Order: sequence, then structure tokens, then C-alpha cells
Amino acid sequence: HVVRKFLGLISSHDIPVYLIDPLILGLVDKDIEQIRSSPDGPSPECKYFCAPRDFTTFALLDKTWKHEVGLFRTAEKMGFQWLKIINKDPRLDGMDDLSGMEIPLHYIFKLASHAIHLVVFYERSGNYLWHGPLRLKQHMDRKFVPFRKLHFGRYPGAYEKPELLHVSIDDLKVQIPKNPSTFLEEMSHSRFLECRYREARAFFQLYPDDASLDAVEFRIKAKSLLHLAALTLNNLGVKFWLSSGTCLGWYRQCNVIPHSKDVDLGIFIRDYKAEIIPAFHKAGLPLKHKFGKVEDSLELSFQGEEDVKLDIFFFYEEEDHIWNGGTQAKSGKKFKYLFPKFTLCWTEFVELKVHVPCETLQYVEANYGPDWKVPVKVWDWKSSPSNVQDNGVWPVDEWDDVIQIY
Amino acid sequence: MEEWKPNPTVKPHKKRSWYLAWKYKLMNQRALRKLCQTGAVLFLLVTVIVNIKLILDTRRASYEEEEESAQDYDDEMLNVEAPRHPVNNKKVLDVEVYSSRSKVYVAVDGTTVLEDEAREQGRGIHVIVLNQATGHVMAKRVFDTYSPHEDEAMVLFLNMVARGRILIFTIKDEGSFHLKDTAKSVLKSLGSQVAPFLSWRDMWTFVGKKGGEVYGEKHAKSPALSTWGDPVLLKTEVHLTSVEDAECHWPETELNRRRKRFCSKVEGYGSVCSCKDPTPIEFNPDPLKDNKVFDVPVAVIAGNRPNYLYRMLRSLLSAQGVNPQMITVFIDGYYEEPMDVVELFGLSGIQHTPISIKNARVSQHYKASLTATFNLFPDAKFAVVLEEDLDISVDFFSFLSQSIHLLEEDESLYCISAWNDQGYEHTAEDPSLLYRVETMPGLGWVLRKSLYKDELEPKWPTPEKLWDWDMWMRMPEQRKGRECIIPDISRSYHFGIVGLNMNGYFHEAYFKKHKFNTVPNVQLKNVESLRKDAYETEIHRLLGEAEVLDHSKNPCEDSFVPDTEGKVYVMFIRMEQEADFTTWTQLAKCLHIWDLDVRGNHKGLWRLFRKKNHFLVVGVPASPYSSKKPSSVTPIYMEPPAKEEGAVAVPAVAAAEQT
Repeated sequence: HVVRKFLGLISSHDIPVYLIDPLILGLVDKDIEQIRSSPDGPSPECKYFCAPRDFTTFALLDKTWKHEVGLFRTAEKMGFQWLKIINKDPRLDGMDDLSGMEIPLHYIFKLASHAIHLVVFYERSGNYLWHGPLRLKQHMDRKFVPFRKLHFGRYPGAYEKPELLHVSIDDLKVQIPKNPSTFLEEMSHSRFLECRYREARAFFQLYPDDASLDAVEFRIKAKSLLHLAALTLNNLGVKFWLSSGTCLGWYRQCNVIPHSKDVDLGIFIRDYKAEIIPAFHKAGLPLKHKFGKVEDSLELSFQGEEDVKLDIFFFYEEEDHIWNGGTQAKSGKKFKYLFPKFTLCWTEFVELKVHVPCETLQYVEANYGPDWKVPVKVWDWKSSPSNVQDNGVWPVDEWDDVIQIY
Repeated sequence: MEEWKPNPTVKPHKKRSWYLAWKYKLMNQRALRKLCQTGAVLFLLVTVIVNIKLILDTRRASYEEEEESAQDYDDEMLNVEAPRHPVNNKKVLDVEVYSSRSKVYVAVDGTTVLEDEAREQGRGIHVIVLNQATGHVMAKRVFDTYSPHEDEAMVLFLNMVARGRILIFTIKDEGSFHLKDTAKSVLKSLGSQVAPFLSWRDMWTFVGKKGGEVYGEKHAKSPALSTWGDPVLLKTEVHLTSVEDAECHWPETELNRRRKRFCSKVEGYGSVCSCKDPTPIEFNPDPLKDNKVFDVPVAVIAGNRPNYLYRMLRSLLSAQGVNPQMITVFIDGYYEEPMDVVELFGLSGIQHTPISIKNARVSQHYKASLTATFNLFPDAKFAVVLEEDLDISVDFFSFLSQSIHLLEEDESLYCISAWNDQGYEHTAEDPSLLYRVETMPGLGWVLRKSLYKDELEPKWPTPEKLWDWDMWMRMPEQRKGRECIIPDISRSYHFGIVGLNMNGYFHEAYFKKHKFNTVPNVQLKNVESLRKDAYETEIHRLLGEAEVLDHSKNPCEDSFVPDTEGKVYVMFIRMEQEADFTTWTQLAKCLHIWDLDVRGNHKGLWRLFRKKNHFLVVGVPASPYSSKKPSSVTPIYMEPPAKEEGAVAVPAVAAAEQT
């Protein structure tokens, strides 16, 4: 039927698409062993594609095709109606004053009552794939397909580059992600936030960037430290996000704040792994201090290149808020930093695909107050944050455990 | 009104007395003054209110735009297309052309399409080409025919214009001094009665159809050498033809659609828009076997020299192994015509809002282009950087494909460049030979991503530093002792003669005679010997084999090198320390090679060809190769000329740069 026709169309133009339809991949995943073992086997019934649906979703890697107009001519001849959604190229968005051509983000091919949604994926700095949001322009036919039901396009999304598998399902030869369940899991957390480049430019108009050699060098070190930390945590499978000053830098100026002097990450305590410390040690980042314990107010600090430090704060989830702890080494005083609940989104920062809180503004405001837009050079972690609370004192007999300085 | 003063820069006019009287009257009328003040205040108020409203509106608009309208697809209305200009249905165009000493203008149907009253620029003959069916401006040029050779450029341009187009001419200041007979007769053939007799400081306007009727001509003779002809204003009407008549009827293909769009918009590109036998815009050169640079992005850095860009892209797209998908043209400014050229060839182009001025502007444009290139091709390890005024050799990509692994593996390398600063017709010989040099030549080169991202980009000169990007890259802080690989015979040719640091004289002296490889598929020789240590072995082998020249002769004389072929010769010059280039500079001068700064050296050694023999120059005692000098040989010393004689007519800026 329509899918078959579409696959015929794209293979006649040598365009390598792959199936990303979550409903079909869900079905496929159940039989994945069998499908993998018999890539060419005939199937008795139409089990996957034939369920009544409005559309089927495929992905296309932008760099693998040449935007030939011939494709659309042939599609029309075959009876397809098609729609192209284009918009600004986000890879140039962060650049001062560059304007490139608009790029295609989505295609929809419609034949009779079924439609093919083709999502265009772009490679971006940070070694990941990105797809854009689906936004209709004024003159477009809003009823072309039931847009609200589409699985992709509500938000932009970020994905790892998938390994693909040639399979034959329902007698159709298609490519699918090698591991459909991983892909589906990734899809559920794929929402991507673009940095606020316009606001960042406005910020630098007000507060010109520090172009001193010190600032340049700190940024280089902070970037390489962040890359190393991300590599280490990703290898362990520990989810983390940009926190405190690093998050503020991303949100406010799309860059590392040169006078911040450290790199801050957040990790949910439920994702804590004992291997974190040895893994960082192995990566050349020795533990500098460890405050608190897994059950309460855990905070790790690693020594990066020269005096740049990596701080990892562990976050504890409560019913209606999330918090992390702080400890003053000399007095044993405990502090608590409160945040409203948040979820995680992907973003790109210093050529890295990393998480940030989706509700970034609330997060930053909780931490830095309503004046977060104004740079502050003097900052006391015990008193400056707007969300800090005293949280008592560690019992003296626990000090050896909860205050470790190296 | 008290502070109101006449504009001191306004030129005296005939109307001056009336104007003074009016002003005087005005100053004396109190009531009127009051009225003026009130009016001004009111006007100010209105402006303020309007501006505030505007600011509020844009704020609101930008806020709305920014909001993630994830809940509802229907909200988004980004990029609403502006309505196109209504098609002009009028069959007649009113054309006004003005020529004078200090100002020229051309108005078509009341719209000013040319206005130039800037001081000390825009001298010569201004030419405008209109589409005979739509009246749109297709080309705008000025030829400074007061200066030599500009008339030849004008003839070239006029010959490129398709028959039937409407041509408008007007002179600003002076346009006859170097307007030779050939140019005059071309103008005559277009129907001008006056052109053959145009003389010193005459004013002239002319409107005609190429190969057709004349719509008007006006002329004012200069009465004396020291004065200009009176300003002339020509008003005339031009009858438009139908669109079908103005277009060619090429077969309906995707390529011809691009061609049609291009040719109906711009003029001066010759045969690409020829109706009968248009030159191809797709080249399909042979692919390269085992092409190692197929996936390397190519950044073409361009300004507003669309004819150059056209020539450059033609040669680039004709080079074997080119991958058009990897090419991005970066245009410094919102110029339409370069973008039209880019689209003609089906490439992608990016425009860049200019930042800063002069050299710093170029430098910022480079930075933005390089950053964007690595953003667009995030898994690229290298980028090829080209400029719009280069011809690209047919084996450019083959040359890179054979050498790029060196840049990946040898950390002592800074770049691979297609350009040999010292590779002139008489000093370059072997297309398969490569060198290592301590200077970075630019003009078609490969940049390693890690070098850019980890070292150059973070420290790139900021806009307020008026530095040349290439001079900055050559500084020891950046280069850190690393070298570039270059070919003996260049794989690029610098044809630009107008540019920021470039002029006709400079080009003739330093670039015109540069050798350029035209042989396809050259197999490079002994590429592995270009690695750091292997190269030293190679140099020692060469020096061991080299015959020492007769140091009693004058090295500038041709007879200094025997009439042989294929031999290796060495000479020793005095070079007291690493930075002593006194003798080298004099030698470079008399050999007619690049002498404006030191280029092409490797540890005090220069390699070139003379009379088809490999010719080595060693600086003694600074070079580590000095040990190869026989004790009987005294290094040659050449004295720099005394200051008065040495005053070369090259401006200092140009001397330092070759963009």
C-alpha cells in the first residue's frame, strides 16, 4: 500500500531513509530476535504496517541525500501530495549575523488517507543528530494531515547517531534502528532546547564579553574539563545536567562565564554510582573534596587542569521540590538549596550535547534570584544564592566521613 | 533656530543668492522663528512617541516569536513572506540620466537606481544595464577610464551584455583620458554620436538598446583644460518589450531553470546567458579514485566581486574530485549578485552582516565562515579555505587527497597550501614536488579542525583590532614553529586585481607571472618524505648531491647557473642570524620573486628552480645546513640599496599582505 509505494519512490532515488515510527518499532521490538535472525524471511501476514493508522514515520539523514527536486516530481506522478516544512538553520543560529538558506525540517507525503511523515535529521556539533520542530506557516494547509497526532515535531529533538539494521518486515525491506527499544527510550527524552542566542547577544551588548587572555584561557580549560567530565559520566551511564554557574552561563550568554572559575554539574542521587570517583581519577581528575554522604547532601569536587575545579552536586527529590546540599568544611555547617521540580532537556553547549533543566528559567531564578541577568563577580555560595537555607550542623563524630578534603 | 547654520559642505550653487536671501529673511522673522521652534518640539514629541510604540511593538513581537508554541502548531507564523513587487505593466519607462563633475544619478520611472556624489570616488563612466522587458537593473558598473586599462574592462563588459538590453551611460568627473579608440568605437557601434569625440572633462549621458535604437544622448564640452563641461541632464523614454522577447528559450530542465532565473536578473556574464549556445553550468569532472578529501568541507570566502566569484566557482566545480555538496560560499554583506552566482551553480551560500572595517572586517568574516563551516559539517576534521579571486587547478583535490594524511598525522604541520609564494614561471618546474615551509601562504589551503577549535578560534583577533587574519596566523604565538606543505607549482592562481590590498600594479609585479598547474592527475613524488624527520634526511641527501655554484659570479646574472637541465645546484648567502634576510631579500628582488617579506624558507634554506635546475639557497651561518658549505666558499653578501633608490612604489599595507 502507501508505505510500499513510498519505499519504492525513495529507493528509486537512492535515498536512505529509516523507520522511526514508534508504534511500528514497538511491535517490531517484541519480535526483534526473530526479525534479526531472518532478515530476508517472507512473512505470512501483514503484521506491522497494516494496522489502521493515519501515518507512518521515517527518518532521513540530511547529509545522505542531495535535495534533488526529481524526487518530488516522481512523487507527484505517483499520486502523492507533499508538503515541505522549512525554517532557519539552527547550526548558524548561534553565529553572529550569519544568514544562510532555510533548511527542510519535515516532509509529509500523502496518498489517499495515509501519510508518510519524513523527519529530516541534521548532524550538529557535539556528535549528535537533531530534528527541528514542525511549525506551520501562515499560508499552509492546516488540514493537510492531522498534525497534532504526529509523533515528531512538537518539539525539536536530539538523538545519538543510531546504528541501523536492514530488515524485511511484512515483505518490505526497510532500515530500522538496530535496537528499537533503546531508540524508543531515547525518543521519550529527546526534547531539545536551543540556546537563547538572541538574548545572549543582547546580554553582551549590555555587558561586553571579557576578551582578556585569562578569560580566553579559562574558557578553553572549562570546555575541555566539561568534555572530559561528560565523556566519563556518559561511559558510566550516569545522567547529569549543567547546574549553577555553568547553567547560568548557558542560559544567559550561551557560553562559559569567564570569571566563574569552576564547572558545575548536577546528578540525581538515584543515579549515583560508586564508580564515579575512580572513573574520574582514571580520567586524570583526582577527587579534591567530598562533602556529605549518599543519604544526605552529597557533593563531590574534582581537580581539573590547573586551578579549574569540577563540582558535582547531587540532587534529592521530594514531593514538591528538589534540593541539593552544601557543607562548610571548617564549621561543619550544612546548607540546603531548594529548587522547584524540573525535567531534563537536551541542549548544545561548547560543542557538547548535554542536559539542562527544561524549566531553566525557574531553575536559574531559584538559584540566582530575579536579577540573574546582571553579572556578579563576588559570590558567596553560603549566602548569595536566593534558595539557600541553613540546614544544621554535621554531628562531629561523622566529620571524618562527611568532610573529606584531599 | 538660533543654532541653525548652513551646511558648510554644501557646494556653491547658482541659486546661492536666492538661498541667502531666504535664509536672511527667515532669521529676521521672530514670529516665524517661534513657529519653527514649536513645530520642531511637536515633531520631536511625535517622533519619540512613534519610536516608543515601535520599540514596544518589536519587543512584543520578538517575545511572541520566541515563545515555544508547542501546544499549538497553528500559532507559529515565522517567516511570512513579503508580498512581491507588483509586476510593472507599463510599456514605457521614463529614464533620467545626470552627468556632472561631482555627481551622477540615474532614475528609472522616478526611482533612483544610481546616485553617486561621494567625493574622490566613482570617477569615470558609469554603466547601467536594464532588462528590456521589466526595466529591472541587471548590472551596475563604473569604469575609471581616466586611468589606464579600465576602458578595456569596459569593452569586455559591454561585449558580455546580451543583445536587446538597455544600456545607460553617464560620466562623473572625467572619463576620457584613457578612453582609447577601441572603446570609443564600441560605444559608437552602440549608437553614440558623441563617444568618438569625447574629450577631457566633457560631460556625457547616453541611453540605448544594445544592437538597437538610441533613446537619447546629451553632451557638454569642457570649455578649457582647467574646467569641466556643464552638467547635463538627459530625460528620455524607453519602450519595453514583452517578456518572451527578452528571454531565451532553453529546454525545460532543472539546470536551465536556474540559468533562466540568473540570466533574467543579472548581466555581464557572457555566454552563460547565450540563447543559442549557452556555456554549461554543470561540469561533472572525473571523480577521483580513492578520494581522501571528498568529505572535507570547502569554504569559499567572498565579498562583493560577483564576476570573480563566477570565474572562481567555474574552476572549482571543474576540478577533478570536487564534491559540490561540501561547498559553502560565505558572502561578506547582503549582496544579491554574489548570491545569484551561488544559486546559478546550485551551491549553498551564507551571507554575513559585516562587522568592523577594512582588514578587521575581512578577519571577522573569516572567523564567522570558519566557525560556520565546522558547525555545518560537525564531523569534518579539516576544511579547505578558498577565496573568490582564485582559479583552482584541475588537480587541486587530487593534490590534497595525496597529502592530507600528513596534516592528520604530523603534528609539526600547520597547514597544506596550494600556493607557492616563490613559484613563478621562471622558478617553478616540477608539478610532483612538495616543500615544507615556515611561512603560511594562504590562497587555497587546508585547516585542521583541532587547530581552529582549540587554538585559533578562542583567541581570534576581536573586531576592534584591525589585524589581518593571515598576518595574525603567521605570528609565532600562533604558528608555534609549525610548517606548511606547499607544491612547487601552485594549485591555485590569484587573478584578483581589485581588492582591499590589491591593485593593478601590485598584481602585475607579484602575481601575474605565477605558475599554475594545468596538468590533471599529477602523481605526487615521495609524499612520505615530507614528514618532519624524513624531510631532514631528504634535504641532506639533496645538499649532498648538489653542485656548489661559482660564488665569484653575480647571482643575479643568468649565467650564474650553468645551461643545464635537471641538475641540483646550491649557493650560500650571508645570513647572520635567524632573522637576517638582508641578502635573501636582495637576491629575491633580482630574481623577480616575492621580496616584500620572507616567504618559502625552511631553516634558512630556500628551494626553487632556475633554468630547469633545482636551485638551493642556504643562509650561512644561521641555517643548520651551513655545515654543507665547503670551507673555500665565502657566502655571498648583497647590500641593500641606499634608501633613496630603494623607495619602491608599493604601499606599505600591500607589501605586508596578499589577500
